[in-house]
Formats: sequence, structure tokens, C-alpha cells
Amino acid sequence: MFKGMPKIFFIGMAIMYGWCIGFMILEMLIPGLPLMKLFGVPACYIYNWIVGLWIINIVVSFLYFSMEEKREAAVAEKQG
Amino acid sequence: MGVNPIVLLGALIYFGILFWIGWSSRKASLDASDFYVAGRKVGPFVNGSALAATYFSPASFLGLPAFIFIIGYPFWWALVGIIGGMPIATLLTAAPLRKYAPTSFTDYYADRYETKWMRLAAGIPTIIGGFAYVILSIVGTALFMLAILKINFTFSVILSAVVVFAYIYYGGMVATTFSTAFQGITMTVAAVIAAAFVIGNYGGLNGLTDAILSNNPNFFNTPYANAVPSHKLMSMWSGVIGFFFTWHFGFSALPYTVVRFFTTQDIKAARRSVFWAVIVGGAMYAGLVIIGSGARVIIETMHPLMNTEGITNAMGLLKHMKTLYGVAGASVTDYSMIAAIEAFQRPFLLAILAAGGLAIAMATAAGWTMVLNVLLGRDLIGKVFGSKWPEEKPILVTRIMTVIIIVVCTLLSFKPPALVLDISGAAFIVILCSCGPPLVLGIWWERSTKMAAFINIIVMTFLSCFSWMYANTVHGSAHLFFLNKNWVTPHQFYWVFVGFAFFIVLSLITKPCSDETIQKYSLDLRPRH
Repeated sequence: MFKGMPKIFFIGMAIMYGWCIGFMILEMLIPGLPLMKLFGVPACYIYNWIVGLWIINIVVSFLYFSMEEKREAAVAEKQG
Repeated sequence: MGVNPIVLLGALIYFGILFWIGWSSRKASLDASDFYVAGRKVGPFVNGSALAATYFSPASFLGLPAFIFIIGYPFWWALVGIIGGMPIATLLTAAPLRKYAPTSFTDYYADRYETKWMRLAAGIPTIIGGFAYVILSIVGTALFMLAILKINFTFSVILSAVVVFAYIYYGGMVATTFSTAFQGITMTVAAVIAAAFVIGNYGGLNGLTDAILSNNPNFFNTPYANAVPSHKLMSMWSGVIGFFFTWHFGFSALPYTVVRFFTTQDIKAARRSVFWAVIVGGAMYAGLVIIGSGARVIIETMHPLMNTEGITNAMGLLKHMKTLYGVAGASVTDYSMIAAIEAFQRPFLLAILAAGGLAIAMATAAGWTMVLNVLLGRDLIGKVFGSKWPEEKPILVTRIMTVIIIVVCTLLSFKPPALVLDISGAAFIVILCSCGPPLVLGIWWERSTKMAAFINIIVMTFLSCFSWMYANTVHGSAHLFFLNKNWVTPHQFYWVFVGFAFFIVLSLITKPCSDETIQKYSLDLRPRH
């Protein structure tokens, strides 16, 4: 199952799920975590609103297309 | 509150641009390939923006802020789950399906599982989900028409249906791809500007947070960590996780997004279009989080109708709007986002929001109607039942199907069965647990079998529909486990995971497809190494 899937797919999944599930667990363990101050604003705006919702997914989707293009170029070069 | 000329002008400008795009691209929709898959010539940015506009519906634009308004901060994770599911599609389905280059969503099922009857099987949950989505799109368009024209909801539904119908009837995939890309930008700009206005009004994120807490001290409470949850649906971890996963895999496996991977120039453009869709969609969702979070305090402190006619809180105001405009069904809180922006009493802001709302509703209606009319016409009448009619007159057949779909959905839109986000959640789960495993594992697992695909689609369609309706009817909420109302399981989301496990077990005990089929529709679609 998933034979031939590029490694970057699993790395991207680990980054995204690690971040989301990790902070969900922290929220359930640390009372008031969303409202603790981080960079001068409630922490939830940083780890959920900006990074979790947007930045991480931009990074992962960028990695997915750019690493695949590089890998395909290397394969094409190898095969002449 | 009467019709504001600036709001009306904003809507007219929006329709003017849309008409211009449709008129400019009318000659590009003359053959079947252009009509169905836009001639496979759409670039990554345009396709990415169109993907975002199609994927995100009134369920996003109206429903997500409404659910944040009702449930509180923990629901932010549902939005993270939706955007987080988008990059997964890049390598999981977008690239392999573009390599395969079919015309319709059901082509893959018929080819990979070696029977034309798989089109019919995959068509059943798709029709259920598709009709639900067209209904919620017409309801969403009607709510924005209501905000612009201040007319009765019934007239608003009829007007919306006419607008959506005309838009799709003359469009086909070329016109809808380019105009949908424009709509993707419009809805994002609208959400971001409205959110910036909300933040600015309270002097920044700290001021906004203080205002939310002064209105609802439990808003940021999380399960277990706080004695009182933000809402009863967020009293246990399964509420947060369930809402996170309800829509999470939709971008990879739902027909109305999958078909947009078929329209790109090549595999590279298909992968890049997901990146652009994440940028456009993520920005819009960031805006929706802010609007939904601030909606209650904004309505209760600033709306001109507050403290008039016996209205004392936000829900009272929404119920007043429901009575005033004859909004039927359960969709009263869907108006919360519009009411929050109305509260600022800035016609320019409402005009932008209305244009964004119309954009997102019409784009989704168009995307789903295209999926349904290709499914009903080309796939079922033509490929399954053998009629030559869809092949000889593809555009005529597609347009007739469009008429039927819009008429049926309009009749059902007069009294929506649930909140737009609830209709969306039900549609997602039905399609994901039934059609998702045969699609994803058909590409990535050689052992996937015809019998497993067929049984999985039929059994999961029944179980997910039954359990959702049972919980909604008997327990009063589709978010409670249908066998035990003390457990929170939003939209019976677990069926997605059960569906994959069920499909794997069935595949292991039934006969695999031929080697030739596995090579052509599974191994050859994967990346070359």
C-alpha cells in the first residue's frame, strides 16, 4: 500500500498532523493555553490561526510540488 | 433597514464582471472537451483560485462563522482541518488523476474496477451529496440576495436559482473556470477586508479578544482543561477531532474538486494549483475565523436593531430577521455573519461581503451542477444505459440536466433541512466513506477489488445516511453518536475511517482485478522512480 509514494508526502503529513494533534493535546492538558500571551497576543492566534491554519499548509503544499519537480528532473536526467 | 444603493451597486458591479467573463469565453465552450474539462488548458494560479472558490461554499462563508458563533474557539480546529487536508491532495489524488486524464469523476471507478456499473454505484452517494450541495448553494445565494435587496426569502430563493441557472447554462467548464477563479479572489478579498475591519474596530487582536471574553467568558474554553466547556459539543475530545476530520479529506476525494484537477495543463500544473488554492483559501479562512469569533459581541453591541422590538441578544436578533424575511428551516444562524457586518453600518463593507458571498455560493453551485449533469447525462444515460444521445448532443444533454437539477434543488431550498454547514458535513461524510476508499486505494493499493468497491459504496452510503438522519431525528443533533447520545461524534465522522478499514478487509477476501487493469490504472498512475 502506498508503494511509490514520494517520501516528502509522509514528511509533510508528519509536520501537519504533528502540529495540529500536538497543540490539541496541549490545549486539553494546559488550562488557558489559548489565552496565554505569545509575541504579545493570545497564543491561539499564533499556533492555530496563523501557523496551523495557513503557514504550515503553505509550506507543506510548496514542499510537495517543488520537491516532486526536483525529483522528476533528477529521474529524467538519470534516464537521459 | 431598506435597500442601500451602495450595496446594490457593489452587487451589480460583481454581476457585470461575471457577465463580461462569461461573454468573453463563450466561444471557448463549443465542443464537449471544452465544456466538460475546459480543454485541459488552465494554468496553476487560475486553476488554484477556481479550486478554492469551488471547494469553499456557503457552508464555509456562512456556516463556519455561524458555528464559531455558536460553539466558540475549539471550532477553529475544524477550519485548520479543512485547509490542512488540501496539501494532501497534491500527491494523493491530484497528480495521479491528472496523469490518468479522464473526463468524468466516475470514469476512474469504471476503468479501475472493470465494469460500467461502478458508474452507477459511485453515482448514488455523489447524487445525494451533490443535490445537498446545490441546495445549500442556492440557500447561501438567497441569504446574500436577501441582505442586498431586503426581499422575502421565498423570492430570494427563486431569484438565486435563476441567477445560478443562467450562469451554468451558458458557461460550461471554460466559463466557469475563469469566472470561478475571479470569484476565488473576490471571496478572499471580501473575507480579509471584513476581518481587518473587525480587528481594527477593536484596536487589534488583544482588544478583540477582550471584547469576546466580556461578552462570553467561556468562548476560549477547551475540553477537559476548563470546568465549563465553550459548548456541550466541545465537552469531549471527540468533538474537536470529529469536526477536524469531517471535511478534512474532502479536497482529495470529492468529485467537485477532483474534476478540477482534470482541467489543468499537466501534472505539474495540477500540483501547483493546490499550492495556490491553499494560499487563497487559507487567507479567506483566516478572515472567517475573526468574523465568526467577533460576530456575537459585534451584533449585541453595535447592530441597529438591538434593543428594539424586544430584541435583547444576538439570537433574538437572528430570530427577528427570520420572521421579518420569512427565512425557512433551520438556517437562522447562517445569517449571523451577514448580521455582524451589517452592524458596522458601512454599506461599502456589506457590498464587498455580499459580492464575496455571491461569488462563493455561485461557484460551488456551478461546480456541483457540472459534476451532476455530466454524471446523469454522459455517464449514466450514455455510458451505463447505452444511449447515443449524450455523445451526439453533449451540450444539449448537459443543459437539460442542469434544468432538472436546478428545478429540483430550488424546490427543496424553500425550506432548508438544516444549517448550511450541517448539510455540507452530511454530504462530505456520505461521499468520503463510500467513494473515498475505492478512489484513493484504487490508485495506491494493487489489491483493491471490484467487489470491495461495490459493497463498500452501497453499505457505507446506507450506514452514513441512516446514522446521520437517526441522530438528527431521534437525538436532535447529527453531532451525537447515533447509538449513544452521550458521545459527541460530529456528523458521524468515524464512518470515513470505518469505510477504509471495511474496504481493505473486503479487498483481502475477494478476487483482485486483472494484472493489465492494475498496471494501467494503479501502478502507471504513480510517480516514476
